[in-house]
Order: sequence, then C-alpha cells, then structure tokens
Amino acid sequence: MMTRRRFLSHSCSLGIASATVTSTMLSLGMARTAAAQSAPGYRALVCVLLAGGNDSYNMLVPTDNDQFAEYNSIRADLALPQSELLALPGTTGNGRSYGLHPGMSELQSLFANGDAAMIANVGTLLEAYDAQAVENGTAKLPLGLFSHSDQIAQWQTAVPDGRVAQGWGGRIADLMQSANLQNGVSMNISLSGSNVFQSGNEVGEYSIDATGNGAPGLNAYADGTEFGEFKKRMVDDLLAVQQQHILRREYSRRLRAAIDAQAVFVDAMQTSPTLNTDFSPGYFSQSMRQIARVVGARDALGATRQTFFVTVGGWDHHDDVLENQANMLPAISKGLQEFRDALVELGVFDEVTTFTTSDFGRTLTSNGKGSDHGWGGHHIVMGGSVNGASIYGDYPILSASSPLDTGRGVYAPTTSVDEYFAELARWFGVPPSELDQVLPNVRNFYSPESNQAPLGFLSV
Amino acid sequence: MFKRKLIEIRLKLATLLAAALLMSACGGSSGDGGNQPPVQPPQPPTAPTTAELNAASRFAAQATFGLSYADIESLARQDLATWIERQFNLPVSDHLSIALDIVRRRDAGEFDQFEEDIEYLIFARRLAWWHRTITADDVLRQRIAFALSEILVVSDNVDDLIIYPAALSDYYDTLLTHAFGNYRDLLRAVTLHPSMGIYLSHVNNRRSDSVNNIFPDENYAREVMQLFSIGLFELNVDGSLKLDNSGEPIPTYSNVEIREFARIFTGLSFGGPNAFFGKQFPYFVEPMRMFEAEHEPGPKYLLNGTVVAAGQTGLQDIDSAIDNLFSHPNVGPFIGKQLIQRLVTSNPSPAYIERVARAFNGDTSGVRGDMQAVIRAVLLDPEAAATPTSMADFGKLREPVVRYASILRQFGANSDDDFIANLGFYLQELGKQHPLSAPSVFNFFLPAHSPSGEIADAGLVAPEFQITTSNSIVGVSNLIDFVVLGGFVTDAPQPFAPVSLDFQEYADIASNVAALLDRLDIVLTAGTLDLSTRQAIEAIVTDLDDLNLRARIAIYMILLSSDYAVRQ
Repeated sequence: MMTRRRFLSHSCSLGIASATVTSTMLSLGMARTAAAQSAPGYRALVCVLLAGGNDSYNMLVPTDNDQFAEYNSIRADLALPQSELLALPGTTGNGRSYGLHPGMSELQSLFANGDAAMIANVGTLLEAYDAQAVENGTAKLPLGLFSHSDQIAQWQTAVPDGRVAQGWGGRIADLMQSANLQNGVSMNISLSGSNVFQSGNEVGEYSIDATGNGAPGLNAYADGTEFGEFKKRMVDDLLAVQQQHILRREYSRRLRAAIDAQAVFVDAMQTSPTLNTDFSPGYFSQSMRQIARVVGARDALGATRQTFFVTVGGWDHHDDVLENQANMLPAISKGLQEFRDALVELGVFDEVTTFTTSDFGRTLTSNGKGSDHGWGGHHIVMGGSVNGASIYGDYPILSASSPLDTGRGVYAPTTSVDEYFAELARWFGVPPSELDQVLPNVRNFYSPESNQAPLGFLSV
Repeated sequence: MFKRKLIEIRLKLATLLAAALLMSACGGSSGDGGNQPPVQPPQPPTAPTTAELNAASRFAAQATFGLSYADIESLARQDLATWIERQFNLPVSDHLSIALDIVRRRDAGEFDQFEEDIEYLIFARRLAWWHRTITADDVLRQRIAFALSEILVVSDNVDDLIIYPAALSDYYDTLLTHAFGNYRDLLRAVTLHPSMGIYLSHVNNRRSDSVNNIFPDENYAREVMQLFSIGLFELNVDGSLKLDNSGEPIPTYSNVEIREFARIFTGLSFGGPNAFFGKQFPYFVEPMRMFEAEHEPGPKYLLNGTVVAAGQTGLQDIDSAIDNLFSHPNVGPFIGKQLIQRLVTSNPSPAYIERVARAFNGDTSGVRGDMQAVIRAVLLDPEAAATPTSMADFGKLREPVVRYASILRQFGANSDDDFIANLGFYLQELGKQHPLSAPSVFNFFLPAHSPSGEIADAGLVAPEFQITTSNSIVGVSNLIDFVVLGGFVTDAPQPFAPVSLDFQEYADIASNVAALLDRLDIVLTAGTLDLSTRQAIEAIVTDLDDLNLRARIAIYMILLSSDYAVRQ
C-alpha cells in the first residue's frame, strides 16, 4: 500500500497544495521533522522470512551425547550425523552443547565472533504453554496452529487470536514514520512484494527487486527526449482523472505513487557507495546485496529508520528435508556473512539487526524422509548490536516423554514471538509506552515498563 | 437480456411469416382469398446496439481470455446461454500434445543450434500453454481451467515439475478435461495426479511405522481440505461464516482430522512401466498407482462422524475421503465464491454466492458438483451482467496473466509459422505472475486480500492487488508499452517465428477519433471508460497525424488506464 495517503494528510496539515507534493517537498528542502523515537542515529531491521516452516531442529542441534542420542532416536531417518555438526562454542552451563547444520560454516564463524546469536524454540503463543490446560481443553491456543496461512501471518502480525491485515513492522512505521523524510519512499522496503509484516494502517511497503537499482522506471517517462515528454503527458493526464470506482481509484493511486517514488529512489541509489564485498549469485544473497545498497543510500533517502523484508520460499519440507536443507541452508549462511561484510564496509553493522522468522518449526518425528508442521522453532539474529555467541530462550530437553511434546514431536514454544519481537522493537526505538500498540499481546509475556530486556540478545 | 428479447421477436416474426404463407397457400384462388395481407419480406437482422455490444464485451471478459471486436459483435447476436452450451460441447484443446511435439522436435535435433537442450524441455509446457490459450477455439474451457489452476494449485517451483514437460501440461489437461464435468471427478483426478503427488508430497507417502517413528506425511491432507474443498471455517450457503454461541467462527477440522486423512493418502506412487512403491522417476501421463502394502491399514475417522471401515483397498479409502470432503456443505460456497472472484467480481453479494452454491449443490441440475450448472450460474447471473451503476463496488482488478493474454487475443496475435510462441518470461519478470508458476499452493494472491486504506475500510477485498506493488505496477505498464508500442509482443525462442499484433482495423477508423474511441471502449472497457479518461485520450491522439500511431496510442492509453486495469 503506497504512502500517498499519508503524504496528502501531511501536506494538508502544512497547508501545501497536494498536486505534486513530492517535488514540492523536495524543492523546499523540507527538513525531516523531529524523530519520534527514543534512540538516536540510524537503525534498520531486516526480517528474513523462511517461508514454509524451516525444519530448524536440523539447523540448531544438540551435540552433547545424551541429548544427541535423544535427537537421533526421535528424528529417525532425519537425524544428521553427530560428527558433521558444526560446534557452537559455549554451553548453557549444564552439560549441554549445540551445533549447526554442516552447511552453515559462515554462521558458525559469525556466532563465534559474537556477530550472531541463536534464539531457541520461539513460536506463536497467546499465553505461556500449559500442557494441563491443553489436556483440559482450556488452553488458549493461536488460531490455525499448524496452518501455513495463519502461522505465517501471525509471525508478521503478532496477533495470534485474530486475523488482522497489519503487521508489527507496519505498526512501527505508522508510529515512527516522521523519523524519515516524507518523499514517497516508505520506511518499509520489501524485496519480496507485498507482505503483512510491513503493512500498517497508513504505511505500506515500497517494493523493489534485486536487479539493477531495484525500481524499474516507467519506460521513457520524462527521460528528456521528445517521446519522453509525450509519454509523461499521456500518463499524467490519465492519472489525473478522478476515478469514480473504488478499485480504480486505488489503482491510479498506486501507479502515480510508484512513478513518483521511483524517481526519488533511483536518485538516492546513485549515491550508494560501491561495495567491495562479493555476493553469491543466488536469490538470497542478491536480495541482501540490494538491501545493503539501500542502506548505503539512507542519507539520500532521508531515512533514519528502515525495515527490510525478504522472503526465501521453499522450506515446507514434508519431503527430502535432508537433501533440501543441504542445498538451502548454505545459501542463508553465506548470504548472512556477505551482508555482514557489506554492512561493515558501510560502517553501519552496529545499526542493522537481521533476524529470521518462519511459519513454524517442524515435527521432530519423520514422515519417512520429511517432517510435518510443527510449532516452536529456532532462529538467527545478526548485527553489531547483537550480544552474540549465545543461545537465548530455552532449547528444549528432547525426550520421548517431553512435557512440551504436543504429539508427533511437535514441541510447544518456550519463548513467544512477542518477546523476540519486543527486543527488536525496543532496540529499533519503539518507546515502552507504545510497545503494546506495536505488539498487542506482549503483556502476556513481558512488561514494557520493565528495565530488563525481554531476552537480552540486543544492546540498546 | 436484450439478446433473448431479440430472439423472441424473431421467432414470433418467423411464426407469423409461416402462418401467413400457409394461409396464402391454402387460400389459393377460392372466393374469399382477396383479403389476405401481403407477405412481408424477411427483415435483415439489425446490427447490435452499443448496449448489446458492451454486454457481450463484458461477458467475453468474464468468460474468456478476450475476444476481438468481430467476435464480440458475433457474440452480441447470440444468446449467451446457447453460446455457453456450444462451448461445453467443443472438444478439449489439450496442452500435452503441443508440449510433446516440441519435445519430439528437440529430440530430433531441431533446436541443437540454438540453446542448451534442457531449456526446450522447460520451455515446452510454457509454449503449449500460450499457444493454446491464445488460439484455441474452446475459449471458455481454457479460461475455466486457468481459474481452476489458481485454486487447485501446482507450480513449477519444484524441480521435477519444471524439467519434465508432461508434468504441468498433463496436469493442466486434467483441469481442462474435467472443467465441464463434475467437481468430485476433478478432485479425485487432481488427488491422483502425479504432479500433485510431487507438489504436495503424497507420492511415495509411507504408512505409519511405529518402530522407526515414522508417520504419514500430512501435507496433502491439510491442503485438500483447506484449499481444494472446504476451507478453514464452516460456511452458510451464501458464503458467510457460521458462528458458534460465542459469535466465533467454527473451524471445519483440526489437526486430528488432518492426521486421519494423512493416513488415507498413503501407498501412492508413480505408474508407468516398472512401477514400484518408492520409485523416484516420475511418470506423468497416468494417475498415481496404489500399492496396498504401503497403504495405512485400519479404520479412519473422517469429518462429520464418518468412519472409513478397515479392510477397504487404498483406492476405496481415497474415494471415501473424496466423498467425505465433496459432500461437505462448505464446498459449494467455498469453491463457488472463488470462481466468481476469478471470473466476474471480487466482492459478490451473498445472494449471488448462494445462487452459485445452490447450483453446485444440484438445485438446478439435480446433480451435486455439476460444473456446467456452476459455470452457468456464475456467468449468467444477473449480477454478472449488471451495469456499473447498480453496484458501486462491482468488478475486479485484471491480473497480469489475463491482462497480457487479452492483448494478444483481442488484437490479432499472428506469426509466420501460425504458432503463437511465448515463453512468458517477460510477463513473469515484469508482472510477477505466470500460469502454473505460483510461489506456493496459496496461488499468487489470497481470496481474502484486502488492501489497506479505502478498500479495507469499506470492508471489501481485492485479491489481485496483492501482487500489484510499486515494482509490478510499473512492470505491467512497461510490458504493455513494449507489446503495443514497441512491437515486442512475446519472448519467442528460436526457431519459432516472432509474434505480431494487428491494429489495422483500428487504424482504418482512426481518422474519426470518436469512432475509434467508441470501438475501443466497447472492446476493452465494455462501455465503462470514464468520460474524463476518454477526453484525455482524445486530446492526445487528435494531435497525431499518423493513423496507425494514433490507433496504437489510443489502445496503449486505454490498456494503461485504471479504467481498463479494473474491469466492471
């Protein structure tokens, strides 16, 4: 959803005619208004959605003999060999140890360097999991548990007991949009099209892609040639028509906003420093490269706060989980390393926090080569502000009789997404007084007034 | 509808004419013959009025991938119900034979000099889809199959479905074949199709193995319920949610039922020669085969208290499961509403949904799941034919695949080798959509997508806006530019001849700008072109002296406009 509406309301309050607000505001050299955040400088959140439900019990694996034996037994043909796991230094202090999937050596280094941390067993919850309440039928569970559409939405909306169309990234942007110059390019930038996470009531995502400067221009429009002027006249005249029909109005709005925003965006991207870091050719790395380039253009964009969203699809490994993850996890690992290196080059590694999300983890048990929909899953956070080299949350004790097992090795989460996101939102600059606006369910798990961080993986 | 009235009048005239002839024949030269009225000569058929042309054009946009002006005019002279019947009786223009012919040519070395061999295997199903969609006579069937492919989704984002040409072509043929049959048969055929077995992983799905802690794969069980038959919540026949005593929607199933259905979808593997359970090499032109030894034994507990008794064969179990889902009252409104959304309008009234659901239920034809009854109900409903002023939010945003295909169909796509060669990569890159290439089983957009702002505030949905981003909206606009103005109509690989469009009939009338816009308004916007949009276009094109350019600019501007993008 474009930002034109907010645009118009902003301009109206300043008494400026709305006809060509973008250029008017730019040419007046509008200073950005005072940022409504409680932390200075630049901050960016990068949300990586592993769509389909990553089998994260094969991404972060217990390596101490006792727990590995349980893992090996429960996971049957899905279990990775103990010797292949990449050791993560440090234990939880009670004889446990953990390792990463063999294909994630870059992540292992990031972890060891303190650039990354793991968050264990996070998932959607309405209230802390209570096995007895589930037995009694009195437990309040998230809607559509185990359903892709509901769970992938809830990881974006942070509303497990309703189906809403706004995400917590959108709510943050609604709150903090005045942190950025109002130039038609949203605070929320997506590499993967429209998404719920970045949809607010007023702010929506600005969609770019990983090729070129990310935003294709309308061919020939105002390109300085005679045809370009003709093209501009055609398009402008069409878009000036006041459409009577509600859907047509929306379409005109989007096309106008896209054309205007593209001009601003591309100009800004010209200022982005050339990166020396090499990025792998695949989709994820190239998306992260583009994000790094946009970060490099933040001053020209007039942005002090940004969120980025990229979806990597294909994690719904009901089949061939070992083979598929062997192909896919290395790409994530490399992409994160490359992104980190680029951010270091740009001098903003401390200011950018990258975090993974996914519909759910998967069943510990096998369906014969694959796993089915689970609940709690393990995730990665990376950034200069991350207190790395640790596993946060509670990695469950694996056991055939675990109290967390809701059946078939579906372990209930021990950390809610609210705690995970609250930590990120606080760091980003959401004031405590607004935290429950951004995360409506947060008070079930964390008190925004608390001086303590929800999980402690970020230094604010 | 106007058409029916005209036919009634003609019938009446014909009857009167016949009666008059009879009387004069009998009258002969007897005494009282002198007062017979003179026989009237038959009236030439009157040209359709603009209103009739617009009605036909609207219908064409709902029922097909687009018709040319000549075809719209012809349609305007026909009774729509009769046209539909004729379409029902046309043979299937299948995709597989086209795809396999390309493979045959590739195997014979015809493409060796052009590209890496493997590419033509990937190209084949795309080339088949585009050629058929643009040229086949069974236009209604092709359009319905596409709508079905957005509900019963398989996609080429899985390796085996991209490299074997038969995979998606045979799957699409299954949709084509059953489009005018019964939904139960369609559901069964889709369930047993190897492409679906791969896509939702129930091919080679093993029975429970408690020793090795292995359980049946739940993927197909979940999606066949959530997406292909009953959806998430209990529905009334008008598509509204049923509510429990606390005013909450009622889930149709839980994970318990999913696990039971998962046990039913076990034991299937590829057919073909040397078939065995666990075979990895796919075979697409035959349904999956059941291997009893790998089928989960025992009773299964399905929806609404249905128990599938132990001792049935695997295929009997599957039939029981299909029956259980098919007979659920949700199917009519759940599938019916989506068909309305794919073809006619994003926000149908509850009454419209109910009429379609009842047609599904067998109220009109006496047969539950009768697709012909459903299609008639969707396309011939008074709400579908309603003029724009009667329902302020009627209509839908054209999705990129249909928007692009319509340009080719409406403006005479042609090529020297009579093959409309298109890979669709331009469209996919610029418009972010392509047939059978959805990012997941949830298609490119969700039926309930409601864009924030005015549309959400009004309580409306507009699914196609989900893929109308700042990036793709410019992309689609550029695609239209390249096709109409730039002459890059398709991305045809060698050795296929490039495709051109034919704007001559529009250039021929372009000296009269009003006439040009009149015709384009009929063909493209069914009379709903806003006066201001029209005036903006007229002002621009009147300045152009070259009549061919004038025609193309007028066409381009309409195709770019919101008036065209959102059809009513």
